[in-house]
Amino acid sequence: MSFDINLTLESIPRMLGGVGITLQLLVVSGLLGLGLAIILLLMRLSKKPYLDWPAQVYIYVMRGTPILVQIFIIYYGLPQFDWIRSSVFWPILREPMGCAILALSLNTGAYVSEILRGGVLAVDQGLSEAGAALGMSKRHVFIYVKTPIAIRIALPAYSNDVISLQKSTALASTITIADMMGIARNIVAETYAPYEVFVSLAIIYIIFSTGIQKAFGLIEWRLGRYERRNG
Amino acid sequence: MEALSGWWDDYYWGSVVVLKVFVASLFLMVLFGLIGAAAKLSNSPVAQKLAGAYTVVFRGTPEILVILLLYFGSAITLTAIAQVFDPDIKFVDIPPFWAGTFAIAFIVGSYATETFRGAFMGVKPGSIEAARALGMSNFQTFVYIRIPEMWRIALPPFGNHMLSLVKDTALISIIGLNETLFVAKQAITVTGKPFTMYIFVGLIYLAFSTFITMAVMALEAFGKRTTEGAR
Repeated sequence: MSFDINLTLESIPRMLGGVGITLQLLVVSGLLGLGLAIILLLMRLSKKPYLDWPAQVYIYVMRGTPILVQIFIIYYGLPQFDWIRSSVFWPILREPMGCAILALSLNTGAYVSEILRGGVLAVDQGLSEAGAALGMSKRHVFIYVKTPIAIRIALPAYSNDVISLQKSTALASTITIADMMGIARNIVAETYAPYEVFVSLAIIYIIFSTGIQKAFGLIEWRLGRYERRNG
Repeated sequence: MEALSGWWDDYYWGSVVVLKVFVASLFLMVLFGLIGAAAKLSNSPVAQKLAGAYTVVFRGTPEILVILLLYFGSAITLTAIAQVFDPDIKFVDIPPFWAGTFAIAFIVGSYATETFRGAFMGVKPGSIEAARALGMSNFQTFVYIRIPEMWRIALPPFGNHMLSLVKDTALISIIGLNETLFVAKQAITVTGKPFTMYIFVGLIYLAFSTFITMAVMALEAFGKRTTEGAR
């Protein structure tokens, strides 16, 4: 057994060919998941049982089951029903990419809504009272007072979730998608050289997640500038 | 539902495997987390650097990649070693159970490192000083003051780590561990009912998650018995 440096140098460009798909999975399901998270958050904050309960059950189920099982249910499971094959969603559900994005968005939405809720609940109660004293409506207080502060509070936890999502995109390789992980598995199947291929892929992923962390660090720094000015 | 009949015992044994992986990886995860936290809190710059590298690597690499690398990497190394002694040996591997258990314990252990580090730092300096004033030794302070205070701080995130362990068990089916998701794949080839089978796997994992969540809630209540309502 020896470490074949040439194989490493050959396989890195091949794996980077999947960067587009990995990024597409990350960005599209990240944005869709964020939209879903905001809907779930508003349902939970509404305090109306018929909105709050479904959101709670949804979050509980999504956070209590493995993402791999969710991907399999959507990709392998749904075609069991004929009515799904004849529905308008079939063009999306037929494609592995559509299924992966759907599963990742549904999953991350549940996690992110809890993060956002933590942010909203952590906003100082005095600020919304101050808003009310200034004659702002509840909606105005929520949009102009609570939201900007809640975003700052939730951002560090949110950046961790984006990194989790990026790691989860690798599971798309289990439903035949040729993202970086899928390409790496193909190379290993051809060459049977797990060290050369997987270690270099791990380094690529670590660079990615470090980059995400740094980017969010910059946003946090920028959003926190008002605190430094007085401090 | 009738598709499930005949598979109950397979799912039962699959669930037993999930439970075994959970217990073994929980033990290892706590061990890695404590070693990592001890290294990060130590005065040795080398230990700090090593622990820092450990958390960066395992928090940035997808779980599936770590599992595949550990399993196929160890197999190729062991086969090479075995062939030195007996050239006729074709393939030696670590059982998927242990390769997978170590992989998820390494990953979640890197998160636990940060949790434990934060919890040990959250122990009030006043408590330590009080212990010193009472003439307690370092060891006594650790056992009677630091540990009881730190586990209460660490418990909520630690509960999430336990949920991650259980959910990551599903990923070990990729390298052939016969847990419930693996059972479902076999059942599908016979029954042709992927939705039913994967939903059932989801329910099994949801039951595990529910049990862990309730256990953590009970422990949290137990931890608060001396601090709340005692004024």
